[in-house]
Amino acid sequence: MSDGEYDYLIKFLALGDSGVGKTSFLYQYTDGKFNSKFITTVGIDFREKRVMYKSTGPDGTTGRTQKIHMQLWDTAGQERFRSLTTAFFRDAMGFLLLFDLTNEQSFLNVRNWMSQLQVHAYCESPDVILCGNKCDLTDQRAVSEDEARELAEKYGIPYFETSAANGQNVSQAVDVLLDLIMKRMERCVDKSWIPDGTVRVNGAANPDLSESSDKSKCAC
Amino acid sequence: MACNKEVWQDLGEGFVQEYYSRFDNTNRMELGNLYSPEACLTWEGSPYQGREAIASKLASLPFKTIKHIITEQDFQPTIDGCILIMVFGQLKVDDDPPMAFHQVFMLKSQNCAWACTNDVFRLGIHNIPV
Repeated sequence: MSDGEYDYLIKFLALGDSGVGKTSFLYQYTDGKFNSKFITTVGIDFREKRVMYKSTGPDGTTGRTQKIHMQLWDTAGQERFRSLTTAFFRDAMGFLLLFDLTNEQSFLNVRNWMSQLQVHAYCESPDVILCGNKCDLTDQRAVSEDEARELAEKYGIPYFETSAANGQNVSQAVDVLLDLIMKRMERCVDKSWIPDGTVRVNGAANPDLSESSDKSKCAC
Repeated sequence: MACNKEVWQDLGEGFVQEYYSRFDNTNRMELGNLYSPEACLTWEGSPYQGREAIASKLASLPFKTIKHIITEQDFQPTIDGCILIMVFGQLKVDDDPPMAFHQVFMLKSQNCAWACTNDVFRLGIHNIPV
C-alpha cells in the first residue's frame, strides 16, 4: 500500500455470529488465500484492498475509472467478550452479513443482526450483502439455498453462497456490495448523509488531520 | 542479592497458573472457588459482584475452547497484606484470531486461605471506534 492516492476510502464491516468465517472470508478476499490455522499479528482487525471501479451509466456507457481504497473491518471475535458498540456499526458504509450454512442457529440470528443494523447503521436501509458461508461443506449443510434466498428477498438484499475455503463467490459478493455503494453515492447529489470519514474524496478539498492518519495506516 | 522469590510472588504465580488452567481446561464454573464470596469482577467494563455472579458470567462466555498464553506477569504486596497482580498475555478462542488481553487481580488472605477479591479484565484492542 505504498501508493497513497485514491478517490474514495470505503469502510466495510463483516458481521455475523462467531465462527461463521468472517476473518477467513476477508482474508480470502484481500489475499486470495484460505488459512484454517489463521494466526496473525495481535490487534490488527481490518484488512485493506485497492480496486478500480468503473461506473456504468443507464445507457451502458462507462464513466471514468475511480480508485477505491477499501477497509474491511473484522470484529475478530471480540463480540464473544463484549457486545459490539453502536459506533462499530455507525462508521461503516457497507455490511457483509455472514452466516454458516452448516449452522442453523447462525442463520436464525441473521434476523437479529439485521435489526441491529437497522437501528445502529448510518441509515435505516444500509447496503448489506447476505452470505451463506462454508458452501464447500456440502455434506454438513443445515440451511437450504431456498430458505436463505427467501430471507434475503424479504430484506431486499442480495444473497450469495460463499466459501472462504475455496474462494467461491467471495470477490463477487464484495464487488456487488461496492457497486451498490457507488450507485448510492452517484444517486446522491447531497453527500452530507455519508457518515464522517467513511467515504472521502482524496483531494485538496479535504486535507484534514484524519486523512493523514488514514494514510499512515495504509503505509504499514 | 540472590534472586530468592518473595512469598507474595510465589503465591501470585501459583494463583495465575491455577486460574488460567481452570479457565482453559474446565467448564469455568470451578473458577468461582478462586474468588471470595463478595468478590468484584469488571469484565470489559461490565460489573459483576459475588462469587456466584462471577462464576456464571465466566461460564456463560460464548465459545467452546479457549487458550491463554501469559506474556508477562507482575506482583506487588500491598500495605494491608494483599497481593496485586497484573497479567498481560494473549488468548485464542475456537478458530478466531488471537487477541491480547490484560487482567488485574487482588488476592486477600481470608480464614487462612487466599482468595481473589477483585478482578478487572480487558481485551487489548486499541482501534475501537468512538
